Amino acid sequence: MKQPIGHRTEINDNKNDTAIKVENLHKSFKLPTEQAFGLKQAIFNRLRGVKGYTEQKVLKGLNFEIKKGEFVGIVGRNGSGKSTLLKILAGIYYPEKGDITINGSLIPFIELGVGFNPELTGRENVYLNGALLGFSNEEMNKMYNDIWKFAELEQFQDQKLKNYSSGMQVRLAFSIAIRAKGNILLLDEVLAVGDAAFQQKCNDYFESLKEQNQTVILVTHSMENVTRFCTRGILIENGKIIKDGDPKEVANHYTKMFIHNN
Amino acid sequence: MNIPLVLNRRNRILLKELTKTDFKLRYQGSVLGYLWALLRPLMMFAILYIVFAKLLKIGGDIPHYPVYLLCGTTMWSFFTECTSQGIQAVVARGDLLRKISFPKYIVVVSATLTAVINMLINLVVIIIFALINGVSPDWSWLLTIPAILELYILSLGIAFLLGSINVKYRDITSIWDVFVQALFYTIPIIYPISMVADTSTTAAKIILLNPIAQTIQDIRFSLITHDSITTWNYISNPLVITPIIITLSILIFGALSFRKKSKFFAEEV
Repeated sequence: MKQPIGHRTEINDNKNDTAIKVENLHKSFKLPTEQAFGLKQAIFNRLRGVKGYTEQKVLKGLNFEIKKGEFVGIVGRNGSGKSTLLKILAGIYYPEKGDITINGSLIPFIELGVGFNPELTGRENVYLNGALLGFSNEEMNKMYNDIWKFAELEQFQDQKLKNYSSGMQVRLAFSIAIRAKGNILLLDEVLAVGDAAFQQKCNDYFESLKEQNQTVILVTHSMENVTRFCTRGILIENGKIIKDGDPKEVANHYTKMFIHNN
Repeated sequence: MNIPLVLNRRNRILLKELTKTDFKLRYQGSVLGYLWALLRPLMMFAILYIVFAKLLKIGGDIPHYPVYLLCGTTMWSFFTECTSQGIQAVVARGDLLRKISFPKYIVVVSATLTAVINMLINLVVIIIFALINGVSPDWSWLLTIPAILELYILSLGIAFLLGSINVKYRDITSIWDVFVQALFYTIPIIYPISMVADTSTTAAKIILLNPIAQTIQDIRFSLITHDSITTWNYISNPLVITPIIITLSILIFGALSFRKKSKFFAEEV
């Protein structure tokens, strides 16, 4: 298999005011054509000289730099490469080509409630999810009561998670997630769920992040959130940045793309 | 995977919590719960004991044969559980790999640690049985530690090697199941190695070059009876170190393969 030649480096330089630097980032995925899974098909394909996959270029040379304290909204259509970019920044996917420098500790929320298991109780899930966010048992003990209070689910602590409604699960997950403290936060669409009361809590959380001058990268489809919270917008289309700058302008551009198409 | 980062604070927290969860989930929803960690191997042992010791009358001349047999079956279960759970670990934990970034080997190690816990519980049972059976405690009992460690290193190496291939070719899980069945009969667990040695010393020697056979015989030798034939007292040429070489090569080769392929696990799983 071809080894990637990209690099992702984490540094901790307090004097440098750059939080994230991305240079010439490329990424492509191998998508299996017909049934290329399994040993049998792999051997058949090899014998027939078929590659068994097509290469899809998802990111085609991204360049940008995010300063500390910026609240950046990344927008773009489905399949434009936003989530792939976020996963590469988070260190989940490897950059195929290009250099990424992360300055400071980075907390990614690709999804709320990672590792939640329906067979475990609420209590057990809180500790598990906390561990995945990097909290030790002792740290979790300290914030345990606050988590349940904020989620307003105290009476369900010892119920199995499968007996929670999906809204309750999200509330619990969100309540744990906001405890995580890092220099840079990566958020992917976490706002897209929950009822009005929960939305309000999310908005308060974002407001507080903005006030604290926290560096945030938010992937979203909500132009309302972009104009309300972000200090900068980045519009990705077809794996390339087509607009980078004032959030209002980026939001307008994005909205126009759809009008144009219809 | 930088060496200094291998067990930093965050990875230790993760490993501990994932192992705890694995162990809890294994016995979730069963009436007897954790007791199954004990009951399953004991029941397996009962079956083998009735069939082989009572009906087929094998092993009559070995002192403490029931414990000797239990010791073999326990270590064998440890090996099979460790490898099969370890091989499937990356696929089983695919949801985590796709959402957070952490060293991938942690999921393999946490899956095998559950098997280690089970084995340690059973080791206590073996020791109790041995004492009841009239085996007297001895300093040589301490020698089981390096033998168990060797068996664990071998299992971990296999889990890394095959687990990294299993992400792309899930056939590995099925192939390994069948392979393990065949392997079982090549190792002196239900039959004493002396039975083979009586007909062919060469065959017995070849069997003892397998690290699984070597470690099981070592454990029996140090824990139950010094009459046990081991690789060390039966083979007198330099070939005697073959099991160690096999074990270390599988671990090194497995770790390297895993490290190389792990970059793509999040995309492929």
